[in-house]
Amino acid sequence: MILKIAWRNIWRNSMRSIVVIASVSLGLLAAIFVTSFYKGVTVQKVNDVIKLEMSHLQIHIPGFRDDYLPADYLNNAQEIKRQIQNKYNVKAIALRSIAMGMLSSPTKGGAVKIIGVDPVEERKTTTLYTYIKEGSYFEGGVKHPVVVSRKQADKYNLSLKSKVVVTVQDVDGEIVSGAFRVVGIFETDNGMYDEANVLVVQTDLNQLLSIPDRSNEIAVLFEDHDDVNSIADELQLQYPSLEVKSWMDLSTGMRFLVEAMDTYMVVIVGIVLLALLFGIINTMLMSVLERTREIGMLISIGMSNIRVFSMIVIETIILAVTGGPLGLLFSWLTVKYFSEHGIDLGPFRETYMDLGFAPVIYPVLEPHDFYMVAIMVVLMAIIAALFPAMKALKLKPSESLRKI
Amino acid sequence: MKKIVVQTIGLSKTFKGPLPVHAVQSVDLTIEDDEFTAIVGPSGSGKTTLLNMIGGLDRPTSGSVSVNGLDLNKLSDHELTNFRLKHIGFVFQSFNLIPVLTARENAEFILLLQKYPRIEREQRVLQLLNEVGLQDKVDSRPSQLSGGQQQRVAVVRALASKPDFVIADEPTANLDSKSASNLLDIMERLNREEGITFIFSTHDQRVIDRARRVITLVDGKIASDERR
Repeated sequence: MILKIAWRNIWRNSMRSIVVIASVSLGLLAAIFVTSFYKGVTVQKVNDVIKLEMSHLQIHIPGFRDDYLPADYLNNAQEIKRQIQNKYNVKAIALRSIAMGMLSSPTKGGAVKIIGVDPVEERKTTTLYTYIKEGSYFEGGVKHPVVVSRKQADKYNLSLKSKVVVTVQDVDGEIVSGAFRVVGIFETDNGMYDEANVLVVQTDLNQLLSIPDRSNEIAVLFEDHDDVNSIADELQLQYPSLEVKSWMDLSTGMRFLVEAMDTYMVVIVGIVLLALLFGIINTMLMSVLERTREIGMLISIGMSNIRVFSMIVIETIILAVTGGPLGLLFSWLTVKYFSEHGIDLGPFRETYMDLGFAPVIYPVLEPHDFYMVAIMVVLMAIIAALFPAMKALKLKPSESLRKI
Repeated sequence: MKKIVVQTIGLSKTFKGPLPVHAVQSVDLTIEDDEFTAIVGPSGSGKTTLLNMIGGLDRPTSGSVSVNGLDLNKLSDHELTNFRLKHIGFVFQSFNLIPVLTARENAEFILLLQKYPRIEREQRVLQLLNEVGLQDKVDSRPSQLSGGQQQRVAVVRALASKPDFVIADEPTANLDSKSASNLLDIMERLNREEGITFIFSTHDQRVIDRARRVITLVDGKIASDERR
């Protein structure tokens, strides 16, 4: 009977109840959608960073990534590569030479990071070749080829076949230059990457740097990236004089992004649920106050405190829990749609790309996020129920019966 | 000698405030089984306050109320609620039915709280609803009933669990004369035939005329106690 009264009480003011149920649904939709949106941003960013720049793991001479000095090369890169390939489930492994230098065209010059790659190995390790918009990825047999980004091409007034001069400091500290010809122009979703990097063939760069057959960097892509941190730890023990770092440790920004995003999600969901909490408390408090005399009557004729308390709690929980599954269903459908079609950031595309994020976001909803929000809604409903129910308990029957 | 149902000794109630109100002052009262008693008096004379204390809805400032020999002062709030449920029936001035329940469900409510078996519940309630002429309104909600019909449902609810006595606070105040007369007929018959004790507060002359005992309150004190 308590359940029946509670259910019917909810529909006494159907518009109000519908508004509460709708607000719970929309609140959940907002919380889950925002969560999945940022999860999508993070996942895409992580994937981009791994596939485009970092791979899963990199090995350098300690301190190399501070100054990029050519003298900080790995003596036995080929041997390390072979050992890693033999021991782990490696998808691809690439050796690179890297130098900071100047890129000059007839009209302009600027600082860039010059990455010397083996085009065949690099194609297996990174996806940059898929972002080539003009020309090719070191194909065509051009002597001393260079691949630049669209941004750089615009900045330095370059096009295919343009000649550029790359100036670097060699292993002895001498300033040396080499002429390269543009064979490919790429454009990724990561504006920061596009501004900073140009690619040349490793043997060409090594010749400039005077480090023949040497590499500054080993980049490894595993088949499965769940164990990357433990593999990095193992390799660090195996090569104590080298610096072995996983993608997350290579970029403090990535670690911050991944860790901060989880915190942001909890905060955002918390704020949404808090707003819902107060909305429900307000509604139920109004409902209790409107029914002061009726509740007073129930207590007068002998309805115990626990039953009055239960009635209000059940009403509140029904409201929240009716809106909950609806919200979860809408959220799932919405996220499913956008995870397939993506969300184009439209006017914010350029800003996001300049910050290194993809302009089209594919939301990601992980089951544990979904369950977490669902559990939080139930908890919120119980908490929201307590205050109005306590208020009902404080009513004195003789006073309540006099209320109009 | 008849059984004493309610006894008050030196019963007083003072409402605190900047100007304390002495609503009931040293009332000594005994109500016996089968009585059909009206407590009358002008507005503010303390009728409702006295009934609230007799019904265990309010606690006295001093003095005591005993129902069937049990001192209500000695009961905790929880025990008092339970006592009201099992021993006292209430009929209120403005009906106070549960608007979301039908007439039958409202009438059954107290039996349900007392965990009566369903069949017994239904039999008792349908019999009473039949007795008060609402056999064709059992599935109507309060909003679909007239004031008189609602008050009859309230009487059935009050009587359903066979309480020791029924307190009716101005039961005819919101009724037209025909409905009021009809209701009084029903309560009078239940008193006469089933021996149910009724205590009214009222200033409705129709009720006063039918009462077999009239207690008049003035300024919270018993001014007269007339048995007919």
